[in-house]
Amino acid sequence: MTTPPFRKILVAYDGSEHASKALQIAIQLAAATGAELHSISVEEDLPKYVATVGEFEEVKRKRDEYFEQLTTEARAMAWEQGVSLHTHVRAGHEVETIIRFCQEGGFDLLVIGFMGHSRIFERVWGSTSQTLTRLAPCSVLVVK
Amino acid sequence: MAQTWLTAALWVGLALIASWLSIRTAISVALVEIVVGALAGNLLHLHPTDWVNFLAGLGSVLLTFLAGAEIEPDALRKHWRPALVIGFVSFLAPFLGAMVFARFLLGWSANASKIAGIALSTTSVAVVYAVMVETGLNATDIGKLILAACFVTDLGTVLALGALFANDNGWLVAFLLVSTLVLLAAPRFVESFLHRFEGQISEPEIKLLLLLLFGLGGLAAKANSEAVLPAYLLGLVTAGALARHRETMHHLRVTTFALLTPFYFLKAGALVQAGVVLRQLGIIALFLSVKMVAKLVGVYPLAKIFRLDNPTAAYTTLLMSTGLTFGTISALFGLTRGYITAGQYSVLVTVVIASAIVPTLIAQSFFRPKVSGMEVLSEDEALAIQRQEGSDAP
Repeated sequence: MTTPPFRKILVAYDGSEHASKALQIAIQLAAATGAELHSISVEEDLPKYVATVGEFEEVKRKRDEYFEQLTTEARAMAWEQGVSLHTHVRAGHEVETIIRFCQEGGFDLLVIGFMGHSRIFERVWGSTSQTLTRLAPCSVLVVK
Repeated sequence: MAQTWLTAALWVGLALIASWLSIRTAISVALVEIVVGALAGNLLHLHPTDWVNFLAGLGSVLLTFLAGAEIEPDALRKHWRPALVIGFVSFLAPFLGAMVFARFLLGWSANASKIAGIALSTTSVAVVYAVMVETGLNATDIGKLILAACFVTDLGTVLALGALFANDNGWLVAFLLVSTLVLLAAPRFVESFLHRFEGQISEPEIKLLLLLLFGLGGLAAKANSEAVLPAYLLGLVTAGALARHRETMHHLRVTTFALLTPFYFLKAGALVQAGVVLRQLGIIALFLSVKMVAKLVGVYPLAKIFRLDNPTAAYTTLLMSTGLTFGTISALFGLTRGYITAGQYSVLVTVVIASAIVPTLIAQSFFRPKVSGMEVLSEDEALAIQRQEGSDAP
């Protein structure tokens, strides 16, 4: 009996078009291999250096509501294909949070959508997908 | 009248630009408003008028009230002993350090040195909270302890601001007497009022809070104290009630941030003299160092005594070195009352802004404690568990 190639899959999901494609692929992979499937959604544009806790909380509450709806839909989508999706929402820098989560969770595949920027931005800084691919502690599948 | 409308248009236009920049950069609207205000003050010669001063003053009072009302009473009760000790020393060490530095090394007057001490003694609960949410520390015991200690530090700052310059006369007695009575009665009275009236379009509960804030603020001013002192204390004692009435809290925040604090923060920035800041960069760096070293000397050993490991103790110390709201309020109080000059104000406000950013960056880059991402529950996960526990309950 052969060992499945991936036992624990993490998909980065922010509701964008490419992230939705990545989620679909990740669900199919999990269904085919029987791997455990998790998703990570990052709230990355929360305000910094705020004057009151409320200034931060009001923005975070909006983001929480958005991601709650998103992850509920994602779980339902996975459930339809017989996969149990474990959703996680974290605040922080997108790349740093995904990489940290990936390391601590012991995942062996990270699935991401292609996250592009303008040509100039990518030439200078590199794309988010490139950075994630370079820093991830496991195999990475970039879905275009 | 036309001039008033045009002045209002200019201020609100600047506030709009600041809001847009804040959303684009994910930097606090308060900080952006200060920077925009500083640019407008130096480039457009933006000057506060009487009505701008009133709105700005009201903004600072409501900001302080909200800061007090955002405390978690349970966290403070649970960690009161270490929070009280760490928080008090976190106030006292930089207060004394900055005051001595200003008085004896820079030759500032006694009152100006006191303002420097108060402005740099602060810890920004809000900056700390936002950082902790990103690390997940806000949900841990250590995080709650740090936040509770930050509230104690701010209480020290507000008490010092209210007490150090107050007149020793009948107005002070009246202010203390009325404040004590109101603060004792407010928790129950405000709670029942909220319960009865929350949800009405005329918002009677907000008018009640404004009435208390204005009344106590007026008495504080008569005693030559500061209106933010009763505002913070009223916030603290009504925190529990407001936590149970989220809608009122939301409306208060929206009113404050949409209509009032833009005037406060733009004014705080407009009074900063860019030339002074550029000429006194060395003094600004030294003031910031004094604040951070004083926090290090005061807080770090206590954090170790309360059994925080080395990185967490360093992280706690750095976060407690942050400041923003109370620092600018204290500096503006000093300028308005004539205790400090416009130049000294410019120096202090720049140090306060730097203290919101520099310690946070160092803490996040080098001392961020390891909180496992897998162990920290997201909001929906926590809610799901709560629902599960609720359905499991007999």
